Amino acid sequence: MASAGKKPSPDIGILGFAESAYEKKTSRTLISMLAEVARNAVGSAGLKREDIDGIAVCSFVLPPDNAVTLAEQLGIPVSWAYFGTAGGAGPVASVINAMRAVEAGHAKNVLCLAADNYDVAGHYKLMDFFNKALINYGTPNGFGGANGLFGIVQRKHMETYGTRREDLGRIAVGQRASARLNENALLRGPMTIEDYLNARVIADPICLYDCVLPCAGADAVVVGPLDRAPAGKGIRVRAGYEQHNHPAGEIAPLRGGWELFRDRLWADAGYGPSDMDFVQAYDDYPIMVAIQLEDHGFAKKGEIGAFLAQHTFAFEGSFPLNTNGGQLSCGQAGAAGGMIGLVEAVRQLRGEAGPFQVAKAQRGLVSGYGMVGYGHGLSSSSVVLERLS
Amino acid sequence: MTTPSYPTPRADTDNAAFLAGWREGRLVLQACNACSKAFFYPRAFCPHCWSDRIENRYASGKGRIVSYSLVHRPNDPAFNDEVPIALVEVELVEGATLIARVVDARPEDVRSGRSVALPPPEIGVRYPLPVFRLA
Repeated sequence: MASAGKKPSPDIGILGFAESAYEKKTSRTLISMLAEVARNAVGSAGLKREDIDGIAVCSFVLPPDNAVTLAEQLGIPVSWAYFGTAGGAGPVASVINAMRAVEAGHAKNVLCLAADNYDVAGHYKLMDFFNKALINYGTPNGFGGANGLFGIVQRKHMETYGTRREDLGRIAVGQRASARLNENALLRGPMTIEDYLNARVIADPICLYDCVLPCAGADAVVVGPLDRAPAGKGIRVRAGYEQHNHPAGEIAPLRGGWELFRDRLWADAGYGPSDMDFVQAYDDYPIMVAIQLEDHGFAKKGEIGAFLAQHTFAFEGSFPLNTNGGQLSCGQAGAAGGMIGLVEAVRQLRGEAGPFQVAKAQRGLVSGYGMVGYGHGLSSSSVVLERLS
Repeated sequence: MTTPSYPTPRADTDNAAFLAGWREGRLVLQACNACSKAFFYPRAFCPHCWSDRIENRYASGKGRIVSYSLVHRPNDPAFNDEVPIALVEVELVEGATLIARVVDARPEDVRSGRSVALPPPEIGVRYPLPVFRLA
């Protein structure tokens, strides 16, 4: 079991955020998208470019560039640099690590960035060459990328626990209802549970509306001392943990690293699942949202189906979930898919979500997931965020 | 029947015995002589105990489908004429699990819990990695 970490400092948190336009295809360079959200996030934090002395970046297509060469591109000297390696769990992990860097005095204000600028074809290519195990032992099987692998996970959950597609579909339908009010969501058409159930089969039991649309986009937050935050805009990080390669050696587990740190996460936060005003969970597939909700204790393992059946998941529903529409409706901008929920949580807690604002949003959970290895995502991360009262 | 130009694994010293075995249609599985556990995918050391006393053994090729998906949209176009690809998690009788295709089966006959076995070598070697048939 992973060791208990030190609680995050109450004096350090998230000062600002930014998000670029999401596009199905773009002619923009990745660096230009990163520069845009860097500038806007620093502005949102009430800081100047000169105040930034740490940088973290998560991106699949940034290599051969990295955090240090990005600092050169942006023209900023930094004393701390971090390049995420945890896929969609990376951005939440980058904030946890940036908090520690600020607390330890390695940097004063850290820019945490995430972006990618590929399209559907680029995503297929990425998955075929994602890592050595998939190149050698996934791709030659015609594995269908993440869809094929998560089809195996979903079927196992359905056959083990009786989880039904009509329950999982409530996640996609609820999120779409929120996305209809979000001008930055790429998929804004109406969706009913019948639409979800009757959608084209992609990797049975995964159908079209279980899948995200690969797209281009960038997201950013700034981590620093909360006394620098604009009045009423600072966000405290009450707790944060990451875990990788748990359970080790299983191909298609029905649980992830969250189950290892859940108790410490809630203990550090001083809250429990029922205290959350919203959840932003990594939604590469509804089945993984369901597993995250189980592993965080919103429902017992295997009982998520009944939980899903009794809740509604739009921003104004009984369980506000991925309240801007999430990746399922906004699109998955590569590694920024791991930051879209973080940015949305900050937006909500600052009261800046406009038409999809959750009423009286004081605190929420954000969880990340990613880095698909031989069968499933290896990385999990979570933070509990709270607005300064 | 012409063989499609499937993507192939990259040969290296860690998977040489495994790939050589499959060129003859046989499944070579690694097992650790220190902790006796079998594992997949091929490595130069045991992921259970880090011993490098690894032995390559011919596996029975018999196993059971744990779960599966039927892939209608494979990434690589080489697979387009064979959809749906029955992508299965197989638990071998030796204890290791792997991801593989079930070939020569009607999609509706692929079910969790069903037994699988290697096809005859002359069928198997058409594919770049070990495949199974319903047993």
